Amino acid sequence: MTGTVGADEAVRRRYDVVVVGGGWAGSLLAKDLGERGWQVLVLEAGNGGAETWPGYLDSLSTFYSAVAKVPNSGYRRSVAAPFPDVLDLAPVRDPEPGEREYTANGYFVQNGRLPYGTDYLRELGGAAMHWLGAVPRMHPEDFATNERFGYGRDWPITAADLQPWYARAEFEIGVAGDAQGQRELGVVTDPDYVFPMHQIPASWIDRYCTGLDGTPILDEVADEQYPLKVHSLPQARNSTPNPDYRPGPYRPSSAVGLPNYGERCVGNASCVPICPVQAKSHPLRQQARFPRTVTTATRCVVTRVRLAGPTMGGRVSGVEFRAYTDPASPVGRSYVVEAGVVVLAAHAIENARLLLFSGLANGSDQVGRNLMDHPTVLNWALADERRGPVGPFRGPGHTSGWEVFRFGEGRRRRAPFRIEIGNWGWGWATGAPMSNVATALGVGGDRQGEIRPDGVFGPELRRLLGSTIGRQLQLQIAVEQSANPGNRVTLDRRHRDATGNLRPVLTYDLDPHTRSGVYAARLVAARIFQRLDATDWTNHAPRDGVPPLGHFTHTVDGTTLDLAYSGAGHGAGTHVMGSSPRDSVVDAFQRTWEHPNLYAVGCGSMPSIGTSNPTLTMLALALRSAEQIHQDLVLDRRPADVRPADEAEVPA
Amino acid sequence: MRTALALEKAGFAVPDTLEKLRTCLQAALEVEHLTIPVYLTGMYTIRAGTNSAAFYGIRAVVMEEMLHMTLVANLLNAVGGAPVVDSRVVAEYPARLPFSGESVPSIGLQHFSPAALKTFLRIEQPRSMTPPTAPGGGWTSIGQFYDAVREGLEHLVRTLGHDRVFTGGPERQIGPEDFYNSGGEVFPVEDLAGALLAIETVTEQGEGVHDTIWNSNETFGEERELAHWFRFNEIFTGRSYGPHDRPRDRPSGPLIDVDWDGAHPIHGDSKVADYRVYERTSAVYQQAVAFNSRYAVLLRYLDSAFNGHPRHLAPAVPTMLELRDRAAQLYRNPHPDPALAARGCFASATFEITDPQFDAADAEVARNLAAASLRTGEPVDLAGLASDSAEAFA
Ligand SMILES: Cc1cc2nc3c(=O)[nH]c(=O)nc-3n(C[C@H](O)[C@H](O)[C@H](O)COP(=O)(O)OP(=O)(O)OC[C@H]3O[C@@H](n4cnc5c(N)ncnc54)[C@H](O)[C@@H]3O)c2cc1C
Ligand code: SF4
Repeated sequence: MTGTVGADEAVRRRYDVVVVGGGWAGSLLAKDLGERGWQVLVLEAGNGGAETWPGYLDSLSTFYSAVAKVPNSGYRRSVAAPFPDVLDLAPVRDPEPGEREYTANGYFVQNGRLPYGTDYLRELGGAAMHWLGAVPRMHPEDFATNERFGYGRDWPITAADLQPWYARAEFEIGVAGDAQGQRELGVVTDPDYVFPMHQIPASWIDRYCTGLDGTPILDEVADEQYPLKVHSLPQARNSTPNPDYRPGPYRPSSAVGLPNYGERCVGNASCVPICPVQAKSHPLRQQARFPRTVTTATRCVVTRVRLAGPTMGGRVSGVEFRAYTDPASPVGRSYVVEAGVVVLAAHAIENARLLLFSGLANGSDQVGRNLMDHPTVLNWALADERRGPVGPFRGPGHTSGWEVFRFGEGRRRRAPFRIEIGNWGWGWATGAPMSNVATALGVGGDRQGEIRPDGVFGPELRRLLGSTIGRQLQLQIAVEQSANPGNRVTLDRRHRDATGNLRPVLTYDLDPHTRSGVYAARLVAARIFQRLDATDWTNHAPRDGVPPLGHFTHTVDGTTLDLAYSGAGHGAGTHVMGSSPRDSVVDAFQRTWEHPNLYAVGCGSMPSIGTSNPTLTMLALALRSAEQIHQDLVLDRRPADVRPADEAEVPA
Repeated sequence: MRTALALEKAGFAVPDTLEKLRTCLQAALEVEHLTIPVYLTGMYTIRAGTNSAAFYGIRAVVMEEMLHMTLVANLLNAVGGAPVVDSRVVAEYPARLPFSGESVPSIGLQHFSPAALKTFLRIEQPRSMTPPTAPGGGWTSIGQFYDAVREGLEHLVRTLGHDRVFTGGPERQIGPEDFYNSGGEVFPVEDLAGALLAIETVTEQGEGVHDTIWNSNETFGEERELAHWFRFNEIFTGRSYGPHDRPRDRPSGPLIDVDWDGAHPIHGDSKVADYRVYERTSAVYQQAVAFNSRYAVLLRYLDSAFNGHPRHLAPAVPTMLELRDRAAQLYRNPHPDPALAARGCFASATFEITDPQFDAADAEVARNLAAASLRTGEPVDLAGLASDSAEAFA
């Protein structure tokens, strides 16, 4: 990489392509177009720094010293380019029936019945700086849920269209996986395909759970028995290269800023929010390979896309942005930069925000609508004491899952779900292991704030921790949420950030189909725990009048359950792709219907997200868009008509 | 270190038979290993959270020394030899630096300090900075030693013919699937060109490409980096090299943050027997014994990897991580001898690894190699590993 530049240097030129956002989507697309020789400018809102090793170490120590190890805990808050945090949400004690059970105090303004309970990161590299790196492909039936099962929105393209792009994306980000297992699921269809690297080995907990292979589990909402089988999860994480990969040989990438480091995952188990060795793939790797044709400018917050003059057929001419020097201050200066093509790659919610504020691409009234995530139900249990510890807190967040609930006719009755077998104990559900230590020590006091008498120390503390932490099982179950126009991002002039930009106003809820999926997932987890002889400690009911975040109740066949979900960080749908400008924002190439040189790329284009973490699909789409942008630019630049050479023409 | 010391004693000679060439390469393996405990001690004694530039600099050199061991093993295998990694490889510290002339002081285990860096610099000293000795004289430098190896190899290829020199089976060669995280790259040695590249990599990562401060990592499509001597000199002088610096110049670039107080001082000549005296008052003895036993296990995995099972490097990696974690604890303890502790000395690993340690390691290594899934080309699976020194948490 030639390094990042400031705004003054960035605006000296006109570019073929301006990319808004240096996250996964923007970085991959910019690299691809740069390699084809186009002049590309990446405008990034974040401060930058983690692309150097000292900067990365700074993020690591910020994370180490953070009290709450939330996904954004490795990154300092920014006034100039604020971003949401999961700590922005708080439950309301003793809420009135029917009233909202949470408050939101942060970058997002939230007015939905339920909270959009997740974050992203406005830093160089984007949300992937704290992602987990789980990268399953979507299943063919995920692309047509409406046609097949009568819910959600269908794609204008099929899984088959995406297969080659999936394979390329897997090469670019470096995926480790077991292709045979994915073929069994029908997710990979090429009979000869292997992933660039061998699968990450199964964790101890995976092996423990494999004991249930073949056991049928009843899902009473779908009214069907599902036989369990543990499947390995494809991951964007360094592992042993597969010699059968073609074209080979594949070489795992090393850390950005520190050569020859992190070429294998060594199980540090802190991938979210930050991998100490960078064995986890992230977009800074792509940026490190940017050719000289790509310029990256950090600390540049894009504020508006500019529409070209009235004779320009709806084309856009470039973007306005504000550049800052101090992330702790709202002070900045505005600039304009022009380009042949503008690509928004700023995250689903930010893309929608930019389109709405610019007043562009919204003839369908779908901009900002159809906001989706994977509501994730946490289930936690203690394994049977007689069978000893199960080995939590080792390796990546999850390495395997139970996949059968993702597919098939059950989808008519409830949203499908993917069961992630957690490797990090009750970390997500209860803040373990820190919370176990605190509880064992008696920290926190009793309800009256008095010192608790039952704290333990010394060998007894060790024994207690060994026994309680070592047996923690957690199933985090990601439920499909389908497109619903009522779940949306809007803008309201009353809500601005410190720099004057309008903040996203979110309206979010789960529809009955999704809620039934959450309900079914909870019951299935309880049955699995039973089969494992584990003690189910899951509790989503309000405690002492305080509901858990994401709490709701749902009734199926007369039985009501207290349920709760967490957000997964998979924001999608906000500039939805379709086959007609009447009801969608972008076409199958992520080009806005109304502005032939304005693209909006990212999960925002996805009409549905199935039960797969969305980034791999998003990257396949981004590569496909890069190809199309290249074709657009070639058409733009070639002379309309080339006369045959004859005597009348004098050589130049 | 036995092969190397014997060879050194025999006096300077270019190997003129295959057997002698193989002996030279076994000696080279030992010499490459010699530096690892020395550099590890420098690195392990850095206090957590300080000296990060120095830490990563030394670490990179250690990784490249491991690469050198592996390349030398590939070379030895290529010429029909069989590397041996057992007690003959391990030096007793303070150790002589073989092939370097009598004037070189012996190499001890030292904590991160200017004195330690001086030792490091002496070890890596480029040939161009070593005064020439009279013609026909003895060994002067490790570079000269490798020159002799190269000369002997070329001579043997000329006289015996290529195919009678390169007789090793390709399945004994270690490739980048199994060895990673080091500057440069490991590659299978199959012919003279590969052999020469291996020798060049080993010498140039240390000394620099002919009369520059840079190593040869560009050869492998990587960014070039400073050769070892110059990396160490940056730490020693507290200043980085500037873009136009030449080998004999003092570094002229920006300052780097070196804090000599950010170290745990040690008494590097401490032996397990010294710790044993205080067995009842300090757990350092047990911990130092455990460290050595782990190190023996590590070396036995290497032995197996170098002898037809490249994938047996995989279980060596968690063993290295265990050594790292054990070191992080061990070096934070005061020296068990109250007199030394009063002088501010901390405990240290002794790297005394002799036949009893290797014998004990062999059983564990055999058991773990059978328990893990380590077939070439297949996924690595280490779930079956169990360490004899594991401590129960509860
Ligand atoms: C905790 C967590 C775990 C996750 N784990 C997984 C997982 O395991 N698998 C998976 O598939 N997905 C996962 N995700 C989702 C994944 O991180 C996102 O899908 C992906 O990073 C989105 O990439 P993007 O490039 O579209 O957007 P982002 O990563 O959000 O990047 C957008 C970029 O644009 C910049 N930007 C924003 N606004 C502006 C502006 N106005 N001007 C200029 N620049 C701007 C941002 O700073 C950022 O760099 C996870 C998310 C979270 C939060
Ligand atoms: S388990 Fe670890 S080494 Fe592996 S990717 Fe996660 S944090 Fe990095």
